[in-house]
Order: sequence, then structure tokens, then C-alpha cells
Amino acid sequence: MDEFNDNEITKLLRLKRYEQPPPGYFENFLHDFHRRQRDELLREPLWRICIDRARDFAFSFNLSTLTSYPAAVAAVLVCAAVLSLRIYQTPQPATVVAKDRPVLVAPASTEPEWTLASPVATRVLNTRSLRNMTKSAQTHRSGTPRYVLDSVPVSYETTFKF
Amino acid sequence: MEQQQRSDEDQQLVARTQQGDAGAFDQLVVKYTPRLYGLVYNMTSNHEDTNDLLQDIFAKAYKAIRGFRGKSSFYTWIHSIAVNMTLNFLKKRGRRFQLSLDDVDSSIQSDKEFLEATASSSPVREADLSELQKRLNEAMMKLSDEHRAVVTMFHIQGMPHAEISKILRVSEGTVRSRLFYANRQLQNYLDEFRKNPVT
Repeated sequence: MDEFNDNEITKLLRLKRYEQPPPGYFENFLHDFHRRQRDELLREPLWRICIDRARDFAFSFNLSTLTSYPAAVAAVLVCAAVLSLRIYQTPQPATVVAKDRPVLVAPASTEPEWTLASPVATRVLNTRSLRNMTKSAQTHRSGTPRYVLDSVPVSYETTFKF
Repeated sequence: MEQQQRSDEDQQLVARTQQGDAGAFDQLVVKYTPRLYGLVYNMTSNHEDTNDLLQDIFAKAYKAIRGFRGKSSFYTWIHSIAVNMTLNFLKKRGRRFQLSLDDVDSSIQSDKEFLEATASSSPVREADLSELQKRLNEAMMKLSDEHRAVVTMFHIQGMPHAEISKILRVSEGTVRSRLFYANRQLQNYLDEFRKNPVT
């Protein structure tokens, strides 16, 4: 036979199965594996251990069961979004009719500001037409509404924010 | 049937591991160490590298096992991890390495294929066992990493084409073509062995 054929190569390669590690290697492997795992755990930075623990904790809740109800989760999210929109819904930008405009006190910010006060009258109207503070006491609680929003009175009082 | 039984047993051990039973994972380690050792060793031809890789493979598998959803068998999954990690390691190692071969088990002397190989009019007859082992490993290391992986799984570990294609995530046709090419190359390398027999 002058050349190796496929069959011979196959037979020769099968013989490589007889190459075995030193005796006792497989018996000690598990012990070495545990030892190395412990060593690595000691070398790991604390933040990584914390992240791993947190991930394991999250997995322990079996998140897949939550995601198996996507419609329910989506419905809850939509409801929450609608409710929050309704609660925090603001009136249309005011068309302010200012009468007898007094000396202006210009606010620092040009953006509308929001407070955690009552939902309707939370907005400090940024119209640069806020009253002169010295005269405010005289005009405060006058008989006619001072601001008209699309012809609908919104509030008879302005909210001051200091 | 036996394969199904093996798969069911693995599934139970995987489920127990996922529930936090580290002892179940130990059983999987004990069960798969010899087989994965053979796979990695025949791809690296170095005992120390194989040992380090095997530790890393099981460590990675333990970290990832919570995400194992059973789309493939555990057998395929752990072999995929082993092959991919070994291929990455070989890319980093490059060509600079030394063979660190395991001893050939003495039971080879009674192996039918060994007897046939040494009794026939083949160049193998003239070589002693260690020389034959060295030549075979040298020939294997001349193959590309991907070809060596296929040869190891098919010829040495006796896996079917379908299983290899799942592990490597390539088509069966690709597996067959790699095997054909690798066999041709091995044939050429070992032919030099015939022309220059060991004295």
C-alpha cells in the first residue's frame, strides 16, 4: 500500500481516543473546578459580585412568567399613561388679555413652570404681565376676572411662586 | 433510545441547576468532562491548555445555564460552548505553541483497529507508537482550526454529521465539505510519513 487512504486515516485518527490524561485527572477535575471558582470569586471586584447577585435575584423571580402576559402588561401601561395624562393635563396656552398693564416684573425663566399645587391652577403664566407687586394688593380679588383664557375664566387668582 | 434517555437525564439535571442545586451541575461536570476533554485536547494538542479551557468552559456554562431554554439538547449546547471557546483560544494562541501530548493508554495494544493498522503493509508498522502519535498530531495541527474541529468531532469522537452541524451552526453540506478537504490534507501530510519513515 503506497498511500494512506480515507479508511486508513479514519482508523489512525480513531486511535487518538487512546491518548488519555494522567491517571486520576478526571477524578480530581471537579475538585480543581471548585477550587478555581472560589479563587476567582475572591479576586472579583465587589461591584461585579453585587451585579451578579442582583442578576441572580432577578432571575429567581422567573421574569418569563411576567412577559407571558404581554397584553395585560401593555393594557396596564396604557391605562397608567392615560390616567397620568388626564391628571396632569393642562389648559391650552392662555390668550391673555391684560388690562391696565402695570409695571412688569419679568420672570427669570421663559418656560412655563410647574408646581405640585392643585392641577388646574398650577401654571405660573409666563406672560411678562405679572402685576406690580406694590399694586397687587389693590387689584387682588377685584370683581372682574383679570385673565381670560379663550373667553373662559380659569382662575380668579394667580399663583405666585417665589 | 439511549440518546433520548441521556437527554432526559440532562434536562432534569439542568432544571435542578436552574433552581439553585449546585450538586446537579457537578453531576453534569463529571458526566461531560471526559468527552469535552477529548474534544478540546484534540483541537489544541496540549494538555495544560486543555485543562485551563475546560475549567473556563464549565465556568461559563454555569453562569449561562439560567438562560438555557432547552431549544437544543444540553449535549449540543455544552459542545457549542466548548468548540467556540476553543476556536477563540486557538486564534489568540496562533502558531506559537508546543505539543504537550497525553500518554497513549496501554489498552490500545488490544484495539482491533490498531492491530490492523500495525499488521498491514503500512508505514505505521515501522513506527513506534509515540512516533505515530507525534506524526498524527503534527498532521492535525497543520489543518486549519475549523477543519480540525470537524475532524475531531467526526473521526475521533464519532459524532454524526447532523450533530456536528448543530454544534457549529453550519449546514451538513459544509460539514461534509470540510471533512473531505481535511481528509485530503491529512492524506498529503501522512504521505510524507510514508516517504520518510522513522528510522
